[in-house]
Amino acid sequence: LTGVFQLGLTAKRTLGAIALVVGLHIVGSFLIEGYSSAFSIRSMLVLATFAAVASVGQTLVVLLGGIDLSIPFVIGFANVVAAQLTGYHMNFAIVCLIVAALACGIGAFNGALSSSLSIHPLIVTLGVGTTVQGAVLLWTEGLPSGSAPPALTEFVSIGGSVGPLPVPWLIPAFFILATVVVVVLARTPFGRRLYALGSNPTAAPFALIGARSMWTITYALSALFAAIAGILLLGFTGSAYGDVGQPYLFQTVAAVVIGGTTLVGGRGGLIGTIAGAAVLIEINTLLIGLGLAPSAVEATLGMVIILLVSLYGREPHVRTSI
Amino acid sequence: MSENRRSLPPYRRLPAAYLREHREAGLAMALVCALLVVNAILNPAWIAPGAWGTVIGLGGPLMAASIASMPSILGGRGGIDVSIGPLMGFINVVIVKTLMIDLGVSSPWIIVFAALLIGASVGAVNGALATVVRIQPIIATLGTYLVLNGATLTLLPEPAGSVPTWIKSLSGALSIVPLIAMAALWLAIKRLIAYDWLMAIGSDDRACFTAGVPVSLIRFFSYVLGGLFAGIAALMLTGLIGSADPTIGPTFTLVAISAVALGGVSLAGGRGGFVAAIVGAAAIFLLQSALTYFNVSSFVLRTAYGAILVVSVSLNAMTNRAAGKGLT
Repeated sequence: LTGVFQLGLTAKRTLGAIALVVGLHIVGSFLIEGYSSAFSIRSMLVLATFAAVASVGQTLVVLLGGIDLSIPFVIGFANVVAAQLTGYHMNFAIVCLIVAALACGIGAFNGALSSSLSIHPLIVTLGVGTTVQGAVLLWTEGLPSGSAPPALTEFVSIGGSVGPLPVPWLIPAFFILATVVVVVLARTPFGRRLYALGSNPTAAPFALIGARSMWTITYALSALFAAIAGILLLGFTGSAYGDVGQPYLFQTVAAVVIGGTTLVGGRGGLIGTIAGAAVLIEINTLLIGLGLAPSAVEATLGMVIILLVSLYGREPHVRTSI
Repeated sequence: MSENRRSLPPYRRLPAAYLREHREAGLAMALVCALLVVNAILNPAWIAPGAWGTVIGLGGPLMAASIASMPSILGGRGGIDVSIGPLMGFINVVIVKTLMIDLGVSSPWIIVFAALLIGASVGAVNGALATVVRIQPIIATLGTYLVLNGATLTLLPEPAGSVPTWIKSLSGALSIVPLIAMAALWLAIKRLIAYDWLMAIGSDDRACFTAGVPVSLIRFFSYVLGGLFAGIAALMLTGLIGSADPTIGPTFTLVAISAVALGGVSLAGGRGGFVAAIVGAAAIFLLQSALTYFNVSSFVLRTAYGAILVVSVSLNAMTNRAAGKGLT
């Protein structure tokens, strides 16, 4: 019976997040002229996709009961390293492979260390992330060079199109990626283990779920998605920038929570997170469209996040957990 | 057993017992001692008694920020306050810009009272969001982080203003005063049953709830206390920078949380305290000042700081694990 209730709760929160996306869009269309124009929708889609790609990994580690604060640093790392290596006239596919492998290594280290010594992942990922950022700065002496290959820029360009569809290839590609992740979470042993370990870390080992290997793999995946986001952002901005990931430090956590995944682990899913990322981008666009100054946008965004989460993301009281 | 131990006056306690109580901070303490020696060798002027005030004043804001981050973490179940940094920045701007420049207030009593009041009020808002509205603490305080940072930048977009001498002395000759005030407050709180409850809640909130401990109320007050400490931290920060700066506050959040963890406060709750928080912050401060003395680039500083954080937290976990095995 409890299981039925919990599934219902997750589904309710996911639907809540999706309803918010639609609701915010309707409000925006009424308040701001051109909010529903083709260009505006396309740019919001592209921006939301960047946030969503970065949040995929955060969703996985949060489902496991962890958190990954190294995501912004890995985004910056991938962004700078990809540009730098491309600048050395290396084949871009090989560049991507190298960056992905390095990122997986960083993530695997995060997960393995935090799980085997049971150190809170927040502090491990923060420390490892800072080290990675420092190392990248040292390597490039703070002035990253190189630029994005044209094919990558075309892949994420707001003006791009896929046959008759007026969206860049990024959108269908992300759709496929998200479908794969959703299927993996729902229909594979890995997904089952992830939810099992997240909901009950004490019981899961008795079901022969290895905590350390799960943490290593999941954090490696998280860093991999962060690296993908970093490379995509390189295509979007054209040149490398080490701090490009910084907005994603809290944005990924906010997208996960608005999307209905709870930080204690084991409950939630990717669809909610994608809706959560879209919600964040829509609120941001809406507030800027209303003519607010950047500082006022930030303050209002904070209030809106609290308000939204208090509407449908409240935690149960400790008395219900007895 | 805990009552028995606490009934003894501090001077009657065995050094070994005292060390065991602060075992989690042991590694950070060793690090602090080593770094003190390094700093003293690199820069002998640094340890002259006349320089102590200035040195403590330099590290003061981080130590205070670290102490402010500690109470909510002790409460466990994801308890954390990421808004401490922006709160310090907000108080800094309000007391300098609004109180001193706009309203012409210069009385220390009013300014100190205002700083503490704002700190405790924002702490109360965070506490209410985390315990009454029951939003996950990291998200609730992220919300207040954004609100405070936005409000600070709206109030004062650029650094401005200057401060009276008495507040500057909080980073000079009198820099130890706010830290002593915080220590006194913490020692007073340790005499209360509320302190034991907070530590117990951090270890097992469900057992506490069934035993009739007011779990939500205690957690609420842990955020208020953190906000109060942030008020003191903001005064020290104001003394150090000598003006209102809207951009400096948020940088304290993550460093303060790292300092708390480095000192051995468990982010899962229930373990750690004042000594751990201040020793962790001192280690980070001394590391920064030693590396700065070598005149290395901020890039090396960043790499070393991250690596030392990871290594020392790992060593801490290993020694705790070994000690735990020894006990059983």
